[in-house]
Amino acid sequence: MGRVAGKKLFSIMALCAMIGLLLLPIVVSLPSLAIGADAPDAVKKEGAATVEKGRDVYYKTEGIVVGAPAPKTVDGPRDYPRYNFESRVLLWFANQQHLYYGSFVLAVPIFCMVIEFMGVVTKDKAMSKRYDQLAHDFIKISLTAYSLTAILGGILIFTFLTLYPAFFGYLSSIFRPVMHIYALMFVAESGTLYIYYYGWDKMTDGFLKWIHLSMSVVLNVIGTLLMFLANSWIGFMMSPAGVDEQGRYLGNIWHVIHTALWNPLNVHRILGNMAFGGGVVAAYAAYKFLASKTDEDRAHYDWMGYIAMALGVAFLIPLPFAGYWLMREVYAYRQQMGITLMGGLLAWLFIIQATMIGILFLSTNYYLWQALGRMRGAEKYQRYIKYLVFVLCCGFLVFITPHTIVMTPAELKAMGGQQHPVLGNYGVMSAKNGGINVIITTTILSFVWYMRGNKVSTVSWSKFGNIFMGVFFGCAYVNIIWLAIYGYYIPANVRVGLSVPQVATTLSCLFFMFPLNAAMMKGAKQMGAIEWGKISVRSQYALIMLATAFTWMMGLMGYIRSSVRLFWHVNEIMRDNSPWAYTHTVGFAANMISFNVLFFWVSILFVFWLGSLGMKKAPVEIKAGVPGGAPQPAGGH
Amino acid sequence: MGDLIREALSIGWPLFALLAGLFVYSLISISDPVAKKRATFKLFIGMMAAFMLLLAIAHYKGSFYEANRMLPVSLVLVTALCFMMGIYFPNHAAMLKIGGFMFLVAAGLSGYGNWLPQVEGGFPPKEEKLDFSSMTAQQLADEGEKIIFGGIGKNKEQGAVGKGQCPLCHAFHAGMLGERAPNLMGLPERAGKDRLADPKYSKGNPQARDYEQKESFPGSGTAETAQEYIAESHSCPSCYVVVGYGVKGTNDKTSPMPPIHKPPISLSLPELAAVDTWLWVREGRDAPSYEEIIKSYEKFIPEADRPKQQEDKPAGAASALLADGTETVDQIFTKAQCIMCHTIPGIPGALGKQGPVLEEGTNAPNRIKDPAYKGTAHSTPEYIMESVVSPSTYVVKGFPDNLMPKVFGQKLSAGALKKIVDYLSQVKAGSPPPKIS
Repeated sequence: MGRVAGKKLFSIMALCAMIGLLLLPIVVSLPSLAIGADAPDAVKKEGAATVEKGRDVYYKTEGIVVGAPAPKTVDGPRDYPRYNFESRVLLWFANQQHLYYGSFVLAVPIFCMVIEFMGVVTKDKAMSKRYDQLAHDFIKISLTAYSLTAILGGILIFTFLTLYPAFFGYLSSIFRPVMHIYALMFVAESGTLYIYYYGWDKMTDGFLKWIHLSMSVVLNVIGTLLMFLANSWIGFMMSPAGVDEQGRYLGNIWHVIHTALWNPLNVHRILGNMAFGGGVVAAYAAYKFLASKTDEDRAHYDWMGYIAMALGVAFLIPLPFAGYWLMREVYAYRQQMGITLMGGLLAWLFIIQATMIGILFLSTNYYLWQALGRMRGAEKYQRYIKYLVFVLCCGFLVFITPHTIVMTPAELKAMGGQQHPVLGNYGVMSAKNGGINVIITTTILSFVWYMRGNKVSTVSWSKFGNIFMGVFFGCAYVNIIWLAIYGYYIPANVRVGLSVPQVATTLSCLFFMFPLNAAMMKGAKQMGAIEWGKISVRSQYALIMLATAFTWMMGLMGYIRSSVRLFWHVNEIMRDNSPWAYTHTVGFAANMISFNVLFFWVSILFVFWLGSLGMKKAPVEIKAGVPGGAPQPAGGH
Repeated sequence: MGDLIREALSIGWPLFALLAGLFVYSLISISDPVAKKRATFKLFIGMMAAFMLLLAIAHYKGSFYEANRMLPVSLVLVTALCFMMGIYFPNHAAMLKIGGFMFLVAAGLSGYGNWLPQVEGGFPPKEEKLDFSSMTAQQLADEGEKIIFGGIGKNKEQGAVGKGQCPLCHAFHAGMLGERAPNLMGLPERAGKDRLADPKYSKGNPQARDYEQKESFPGSGTAETAQEYIAESHSCPSCYVVVGYGVKGTNDKTSPMPPIHKPPISLSLPELAAVDTWLWVREGRDAPSYEEIIKSYEKFIPEADRPKQQEDKPAGAASALLADGTETVDQIFTKAQCIMCHTIPGIPGALGKQGPVLEEGTNAPNRIKDPAYKGTAHSTPEYIMESVVSPSTYVVKGFPDNLMPKVFGQKLSAGALKKIVDYLSQVKAGSPPPKIS
C-alpha cells in the first residue's frame, strides 16, 4: 500500500471514528428512550391495577407516573444552603460565564467549517492557504477555551449542587434518561475536536482535505446536538412538559425535551452563538490590528476582522426574526408570560434590548462605511452615507419607542393619561417591526454598496440591473413603512399579522439583491484594489463595540429569559421558596450584566494571549501576498 | 468621599505597597538620571492610575446592590485610566485601549439601565388566610378587587395587577380596548343574555361544541345561569371562546387564558367567589350569594382539582420567618422586635435602651477600626449584616454580650436583611433620618 493510500485509509478511519463517536450516545441510550423504560421494576410487577396514571401538563396525554412529585421547598439549609451572599447571584455568574464560553466553543467550529470550506472552494491558492491558516488558528484558540468551558461547567454544577440541591435534584431526576447521553456527547465532542485539530496537517490536499472538512461537519453536528440537549433543560424550566401537574415524570423523555419553547430556543441560540462567535473573533482581529507593528500584519488582521464581522452579521440579520418567533411561541404557550416580558415587569429590559439591537446594526453599518474608505473607487458612495444615517436613526427611534409600559399612578398623572402626550400611542408592534425592518434593509443596502465599492459592472444589462435594484429597494422601504403606518388603523390581532409581509420584504431584499448584485459584478472592472490594512482605527473600535454590545445583549436576554419565570424554579410546577424569589431592579441587572461581560472579556483576552503564544510560529509566507490582492471572502469580498 | 478613599486604600494597600517597593527599587538600581526621572514619573502615573482604579472598584462594590445612577462613573474612571496607562505603556497600549473602550461601553449600558425607571418584581403574593364565607357582599367585592388589581380602589389605575393577573389581558371599563381578551364591562348581563344564547355556546348540549374542550370535565355540562357562565369561563376557558380572542392559528377554538384555579394563578374557590362578587357589585348589581358562587364553581371544577387556600405554601415556611422582605423597613424592625431594645432614628416607637443607638452610618466605620474588633467586615453594610447575623462578633462597650438573639440570620429573609442594612447604613449621627421604604 502506497503512502498516499495509507493516508487516505487513515483519514477515512478517523472520519468513521468521529461518526462512531457521534452515534455512540444514541446507540447506548436507545433502550432508555423507550416509553416507560424508566418505570421502577416494582411498579411494573404490580400490574396495571396499581399503576398510577397522570396527565401531561402540556401534551395532555396520559402516562404512567414513574417519578416523584416536584419537591415543595422550604427556605432553610436543607433546600437552600447558602454562603453569606445571594446564592442566585453566584449561580447567575457561574451560569453566564459557562454560557459565554460554551457559545464561543460551539460557534468557533462552525466558523472554522465555513472558513475551511471557503478555502477549499477558492481557486486562488494563496487565498486558499490564508483561509486554511485562519481556520486553523481559531480552532487552536477554541481548544484553550474548550478547557475553560469544561472547568466552568464543573463550577456551574458544583454551584447548583451546593446552593440549590433540591432544585437540581429534581431536574436531574427528570432528565435522568438522557443524562448519560449528555455526558457521552461531551466525550464525543472532545474526541472529535482533537481528531479534527491534530489531523489538520495530515489532511491538507485533495480528497484528504474533503475528509477533514467532513470531520468539521461531524464535529458541529455533535456540538449542535449537545446544545439542543442543554437547551432542553431551560425549555423545561420555562414551559414544562412530560410531567403531570405535580411535576411527576410520566416516562416519555421526548415530551420532556420537546417542550413548547425548545425549537425556537434552539434556532435562536444557534444564530446567537454564531453572531457572538463572529463578534469575539472580530474583536480579536481588532486587537491584533491595533497592536500590529507592520503593514503586513495590519493587512492580515484587517482582513480577518472583515471576515469575522461579515459572518457574524450574516447570522445577526436573521436573529431578530428568530427572536420574534420565540416571542410568538411564548405568547402562544402562556399569554401572561409574554405580557410580563413585553408589556409588564420586564418591559424596560426589552427597551434596553431594542437599544442594543440598534447599536449592533449602527456599529455594523459604521464599520462598512469606514471600510469603503480602503477601496479606491468607492468615493462615489460616501456622499450618500448621510442619508443612510438618517434612515437608520429614524428606524432606531421608532424601534425603541415603547407602547405600553407599567406606570405608577404618579407617572400616569404626570403623563396625563395612559399614552405619552407627544408620542401618543406610537410604538405599536407593526411600527416597531417597521423600524427594525428598515434598519436591516439599510444594512443590506450598505453591504451591497460595499460589495460593489471598487467595481464597475460590465454586463450588458447593468443599467437595467441598477434601475431594477433601486426600484426594488425603494418599493421595499415603501411597503415596510406603509404597513407600519397601516397598523395604526386596524385591530391589534390583525396588526400582528403584518409582521409577515414586512419580514418577507426584508428577506426578499436579502435573498434577491445579493445574488443580483453578485451577477452584475461578475467580471466587473476593478477601479482599484482593496487596500487591506488602510482602514481607519475608528473602524476597529466599531468591531469592539459590536463584540461588547453583543456580549452584553446575550447577558441581558439570558437574564430576561430566566427571570420571566418569576417565582418558579420550573414554571407552574416547582415554586421558588428561597429568599430570592423576587425580580431584581433594572439597575441591578444592568450592573450584574456589565460585571459578567467585563469578566468574560478579561478572561478571553487571557485566552487570546495564550493562543497567540503558539501562533507566533505561523509561516510568514502565508501573510505574504496580503495587501496587493483583492481577496474574495464572504459575499464577494 | 472620605469613606470611599478609605475603602479604596483598604482594598488596594498591597498594590500600593508593591508600587512603593518598585519606586524604591528604581531609585536604588537606576543610576542614569534621565532614566531615573522617567521611571519615577511612570511610577507616579502608575500610582495615580492604581488609585483611580481602586476608587472605582470601591465605588462599584459599595453600591452594587443599589440602583445607583453614579455607578457608571466608576467604569468611566477605569476607562480614563486605561487610556492614560496606554500612553505611558506603549507596548500594551492596544490591550489597554481596548479594555478601556469595553469598560466605557459597559459603563454606558450600566448607566442606561440605572437611569431607566427602577421596576422591581416583589415577592410572590403573600397568602392571607381569610374567612370569605362570613363576609358581606361589599367586603367580598373588596377582596375581589384586591385579587384582581392588587388593592382597593386600584381598578382604574393603569398597570395595577393583583394575584389574579386579570388586567394583563382584560380591560374593565367602557372605552378601554381589550386587545388580548374581551373587555369585562357589563359581563354579568352579557353572560346571561348574549353568551348563553349564542348557538356556538351550545347551551345544554356540550357535545355539539366546536372548541378544544367540550366540557370542563366529563359530565360537567354547560352553564345555565350568568354566574355559571362566569365560573365556566374561569375554570374551562377553552370550552367557549369569544370570536377574535382565540389562540392564533386555532380559528378561535382554543383560548389563551389559563384555567384560573390551576397554576400559575391558582385561585381558590373562595378567592374566585370574591373576584366574581366584585364583577357584579361594581356594576351596581346584586351579586349571587357566596354559597351560590361556590356551587357554580363546584359544577365545573372536580373535587381533586380544587386548590386549597395556601396550598402552594410549604408547611412552616411563613411561620419560620419573622419578615420576608415584602414589608417596609419600619415593619421589619417592629416584627423582628428590634425596636424593643434599640433606638433607631426615623423608626416610630424605636426607643429601646438595652442596646446601642443604631446610627450605623457613623458607628460602623469607627467600630471596624477599633483594635478590639475581630470581625471580617470591611464596609458599613458588611458590619451591619455581621452585627445582625452574628451579634457576638463585636459587642459595643457598655452593653452585655448574648443579650441579642442570634437567630436573625434564619428568621429574616435576605430581602428583609437587605432592607435593614440599606436603612441603617444611611442613619448618621446629627443628620436627618433616611426615608422609610
